[in-house]
Amino acid sequence: MTQEATDARAVPTADWVSIADLHRDPFPIYRTLREEAPVHWVPAINRYLVTSYEACHIVENDQEVFSANETDSLMKRAMGHSMLRKDDPEHQADRKSYGSVLRPKAIKQTWDAIFRNNSDKFLARLKAEGPGADLIWEYAAPYAAENLRQIMGFHNASQEDMQRWSQTMIDGTGNYADDPEVWAKSEKSSAEVDAAIDEILPRLRKNPDSSLLAGLASMPIPLDAIRANMKMTIGGGLNEPRDVLGVAVWALLSNRGQLDQVTAEPALFPTVFEESVRWIAPIGMYPRETTRNTELEGMQLPAGARLGVAVGAGNRDPKVFDDPEVFDINRPKKPHLAFGGGNHFCAGAWVARASVAAIALPQLFNALPNLRLDPDQPATEAGWVFRGMTSLPVVWDQP
Amino acid sequence: MAKLSFHHNDGNVDVLDVDTGASVMRAAVTNGVPGIVGECGGNAMCATCHVYVREPYLASLPEISDDEEEMLDCTAAPRDEARSRLGCQLVLDNGLAELEVDVPDNQV
Ligand code: FES
Repeated sequence: MTQEATDARAVPTADWVSIADLHRDPFPIYRTLREEAPVHWVPAINRYLVTSYEACHIVENDQEVFSANETDSLMKRAMGHSMLRKDDPEHQADRKSYGSVLRPKAIKQTWDAIFRNNSDKFLARLKAEGPGADLIWEYAAPYAAENLRQIMGFHNASQEDMQRWSQTMIDGTGNYADDPEVWAKSEKSSAEVDAAIDEILPRLRKNPDSSLLAGLASMPIPLDAIRANMKMTIGGGLNEPRDVLGVAVWALLSNRGQLDQVTAEPALFPTVFEESVRWIAPIGMYPRETTRNTELEGMQLPAGARLGVAVGAGNRDPKVFDDPEVFDINRPKKPHLAFGGGNHFCAGAWVARASVAAIALPQLFNALPNLRLDPDQPATEAGWVFRGMTSLPVVWDQP
Repeated sequence: MAKLSFHHNDGNVDVLDVDTGASVMRAAVTNGVPGIVGECGGNAMCATCHVYVREPYLASLPEISDDEEEMLDCTAAPRDEARSRLGCQLVLDNGLAELEVDVPDNQV
């Protein structure tokens, strides 16, 4: 547990880690780091990188010592001060304003049918493209974006807008190089989102529906908080389902035996989902900041230390998962860290499970007989703060 | 102080003396009781703090809220209509100074 630093070990420096290598494939780096210590100072990212399961878990359950309200946060600059960068009780007030829109009952009553419709629509688009099509950009991304657009209530925007907003603002939150062009694009999207919210709120106040914005329109919440939380939701709500869907399909198509097992028993799709996010967490790292001198899993940290909590690394900790680098739907079930934990546990977790595990995956393997990787165009994946497939060309048998 | 017992499937029992005001989930997690995860920190969002309350204590439990109700349909181990509850929603207080629960096989 956390306590005042006393006989804690000094944190080693990992000056050999580069952002480019992390972006290409963080997992061998995580393995090397974790074998030495649960926390390292990594000059390239100007943070203490936390890579063990235990240390990640401690951080996310102690907001008094490990605050989400980071100083000079790039996310605050790109998206405003959302609930993701607040601690309780401020966080709790924002979190409550989302009401039950993203919870299992609303999903069953309202969203399932809409997700199914959207899946049909973009499956048709993928099919029309024909074998060799890219599953990420013809199906997973527009599907996730259209679902999110409808859940949030952006009736005055398109799924393409959602994709552009999400990507450019996320690029802003990760703009450690302070590239002015990245800021310009991020600011333009931020302004577009503000304008869309300003336009839609009065309409939804008059004609309320089941969407998030309609719920917010009826509450006494400062416009600043609505804007920031909506931008955060556009970021996380699009990437996560898109990337878990892409990774799950890629993993199954690369592991024929497990694919056969799942197609014979579709009740296993939820297991595929959980194993996919354990294996490659779509949000692989998030920041925290220490509020005082402390000790984290035996490592000494000063007050004001900026941490990178690498849940993507924690999810491959061999102390918790046997043979962790391997995708295996038959491993014993254990809680993973991909949705975060404690008060910041992902509000969209049930939406992601419903839209991906219950609808997209079964529909996809049903609709495209003998779906397989395209032997002529290799799939590619990238990222470490966010990680997912950047392309996934597939082929199938046509009737 | 309240007395809290966790009965495990292997026959082991963890008995805790906990401060009044603590939830069953919080007590389990801070004392390292196996089988209770509490992923969402007690927000009735994750269903990984599922417990089966033993018969004699059912009458003294607080009512099931809407949030708890929908989450009880999402538990990894089967829901027992009469006995299933979320540990994070059961706070040990003067009305509930003693409690015995069975810990499910799995939470995820
Ligand atoms: S701790 Fe998540 S539902 Fe109880």
